[in-house]
Amino acid sequence: MNPTRPPAQRDEPWTWARRELFSGPVNTVVSVVFGAALAYVAYRIVAFTFLNTEWEVVRRNLRLFMVGRFPIDDLWRVWAAGYLVVAAIGIGAGVTGAVAAETAVAKGRPPTRLPTAVAVGRFAPLLVLVVVLVSLTRTVVPGLLAVGAVATLLASRTAAHRVPAGRARALAWLVALGALVGAFLVLTGFGGVGWDAWGGLLLTLFATVAGIVLSFPLGIVLAFGRRSRLPAVRWLSGAYIELFRGVPLVTLLIISQVSLGFFFPTSVDPPSLLARGLIAIVLFESAYMAEVVRGGLQSVPGGQVEAAQALGLRRRHVVRRVVLPQALRAVIPATVGQFISLFKDTSLLGVVAFFELLRVSQTVLSQPDFRAQGLDAVTLGFAGFIYWVVSYTMSKESRRLERRLGADRA
Amino acid sequence: MTEPNTADQAHDTADQAHDTADQAHDTVAVQADATAVVGGTGAPMIECTGVEKWFGDFCALRGVDITVGTQEVVVVIGPSGSGKSTLIRCVNRLEEHDRGRIFVDGIELTRSLKDIQAVRREVGMVFQSFNLFPHLTVLENITLAPLQVRRWPAGKAREVAMEQLEAVRIPEQAHKYPGQLSGGQQQRVAIARALAMQPKVMLFDEPTSALDPEMIAEVLDAMRELARSGMTMVVVTHEMGFAREVADRVVFMADGEIVEVGTPEHFFTDPAEDRTKLFLSQIL
Repeated sequence: MNPTRPPAQRDEPWTWARRELFSGPVNTVVSVVFGAALAYVAYRIVAFTFLNTEWEVVRRNLRLFMVGRFPIDDLWRVWAAGYLVVAAIGIGAGVTGAVAAETAVAKGRPPTRLPTAVAVGRFAPLLVLVVVLVSLTRTVVPGLLAVGAVATLLASRTAAHRVPAGRARALAWLVALGALVGAFLVLTGFGGVGWDAWGGLLLTLFATVAGIVLSFPLGIVLAFGRRSRLPAVRWLSGAYIELFRGVPLVTLLIISQVSLGFFFPTSVDPPSLLARGLIAIVLFESAYMAEVVRGGLQSVPGGQVEAAQALGLRRRHVVRRVVLPQALRAVIPATVGQFISLFKDTSLLGVVAFFELLRVSQTVLSQPDFRAQGLDAVTLGFAGFIYWVVSYTMSKESRRLERRLGADRA
Repeated sequence: MTEPNTADQAHDTADQAHDTADQAHDTVAVQADATAVVGGTGAPMIECTGVEKWFGDFCALRGVDITVGTQEVVVVIGPSGSGKSTLIRCVNRLEEHDRGRIFVDGIELTRSLKDIQAVRREVGMVFQSFNLFPHLTVLENITLAPLQVRRWPAGKAREVAMEQLEAVRIPEQAHKYPGQLSGGQQQRVAIARALAMQPKVMLFDEPTSALDPEMIAEVLDAMRELARSGMTMVVVTHEMGFAREVADRVVFMADGEIVEVGTPEHFFTDPAEDRTKLFLSQIL
C-alpha cells in the first residue's frame, strides 16, 4: 500500500442525485416539491423577461436611466469619460497583474495566469449587463462604442502588463490617475455639464466612488482617533461616530440640502447641491467605516506592535507597515459590505431631488405613454438588475482579494 | 569567541560594579557577593539601578540593580510573576519604569523618544510568542527594520537578511510566510530578524516556552552559537541546562527582587539563599 493521492470523490450525476435527493420517501417528496417550485419560479422569470414584458418603457428612456438629464448634445462627454475610466482600470489591472506575477516568480512559484474562461466568468454578470444595455439601444452606434470600450480595456491592460518595473511603472500609475482626472474634466470642464445636472447610473456610480474614496480614509482616521491616548481626540472621535451613526442617512441628506448653508460664512458660496449630498453621505458612511476599521485594529495582537517597536520602527511605520495591513485585511468582508451598502444608499439621493438610478425608474412611469400601466415591475426590475450586477461584482472581487491576500498563510 | 575574563578585566569590572552598588545603597536585593562580578569584557552595556515598576497597585519590580557587561550572557530565572520579563521589557522600554535609572550602551532611558529609538536600534528582542509579522514573508519580516530604521539600500538589507537566515540554518524558507513554518523555525526567524539590525544586545523573553519539546533544541542551538560569537545577551528562560552551559552569570528573581546572583557553578551547586534552594528543588 502506497497511497499517493486521495481516493476519487467524483460521482456520476445520477448516482449523486439518488444519494442526495432521493435517498428515502421523505427526501423524494421534498425534492420533487421544491424542484417543481423552483422550475415554476424559473419559468415565470424567463416568461416575464422574454415573453410577457414590454421593455419599451426602458428602451425609450434608456438615456434617462444612464445619465439622467445630461444634455443630449454633450453625450459625447460621457462616452469620452467612460473610455478614459475604462483605460485607467485596464492600466491598473495590467500593472497589478504584472506585479503579482513578478512577486510569484521572486518567491519561486510559477506565475499563475488566469485562463480566459475564468477571467470571463469573473465578470460574466457585468458582461451580461453590457449586452442587455446594448440590446436595448435603437441605433448601432452605442453597440460599436461598447465593443470599442471593451477593446480599450483589454488593450490598455495588455500594454500596462508589459511596462517594465521601476520608473516606467510609476509613470503608468500616473497615466491611470491622469485618465481619471481627465474623465472628470471632460464631463465638467470646457463648457461641460456641472454635476448638479448629472443623473441616472452616472450619478449613482459617481456618488458611490466619491463616497468610498472620501469616507474610507476618514473612517481610518476616526478609528485611530477613537483609540488615541489623548482623551480629547478619543472623545471627539467617539462623539462624531455615535452622532452620525445614530441619525438616518435620509435625515442627514435633507438637512444637508436645506440647512448646510447656515454653517458657511456669508462671504463663501455654500457648496452645490450634489456636493452637499456627498458631504452627508461621507459623514454618515465614515462613521460606520470607523467602527469596521476599529474592529480590524482590535484584531491585531499587541505583540505585533511590541515586536515592531522593539525593532526600532517609528510610530508611523508601526502603523503603516505592521498594524494597518493586518487590520484592513481582517475586515475586507465587512469593508466591502459597507461599500455595497453605500452603493445602494446612494438611492436615497433620489429623496432629495437628484435623478439617480432609482428615482429615474419611478419618474419615467409618469410619462403619458406609460402612465398607470403597472410598469413598476419593469423599470424597478431593470434598475434592480443593475444594482445587483454591481453589488455582486464588488462582493465577488472582494472574495478574490481576500483569497489572494490570505492564500499564502496557514 | 569570548574567553573567560582575564584577571585584570575581572578586577576592573568588579570595581565598576562596586561603584554601581555604592550609588544604589538603599538596595535590598543585593545579597550575594557574586553580584559584584560583571562578566564579559567589562564595559557595562546595561546598567539598572533601583528600578521600580508598578502595574496599578501591584509592584512588579522593587528596586532592581543589575549591570550587564559587554559580551556577557546573563540568564534570569525565577518563578512566574517574579518580574523577569518585566525587567527585560524595561530595558528596551516596552514597559516604562517608574523609579530608578536604566542605561543602555551609555544612553539613559527617559521620556525622550529620540533616546528610546536610539536604544531600541541597538537592542534586539525575541519573544515567547515569536511575534513575526504574518502578512510579510520571512525575508520581508527580516528586512523591514533594516530598510525603515537603518535605511539600508534594498540589496544590503537582503544580503544581511540571507546571512542571518543561513546562520539559523533556514535560508530555504526565505519566501514563505510565518504561518507556513513550524514553531521552532518561526522562533529562529525571529532571532534572525532581531540580529539583522546588528544590535549590541539581545534580549530573550522565554524564547522556548511556547515550543513543542522537539523544537526547543534547534532554538537553543542558535542561541548558543550567538553567545559564542560574543553577543551580549540577557535571557529569561526555564532551560536550566542552557543556563548552566552558556551563562556567565545567573540571576534569580522572586517577587520583583533579585534574590541571588552568581556564576552557574555557584548557583547550581551551592546556592546561598533559601528561596533559591526552594526554587531549584522544585524545578530540577
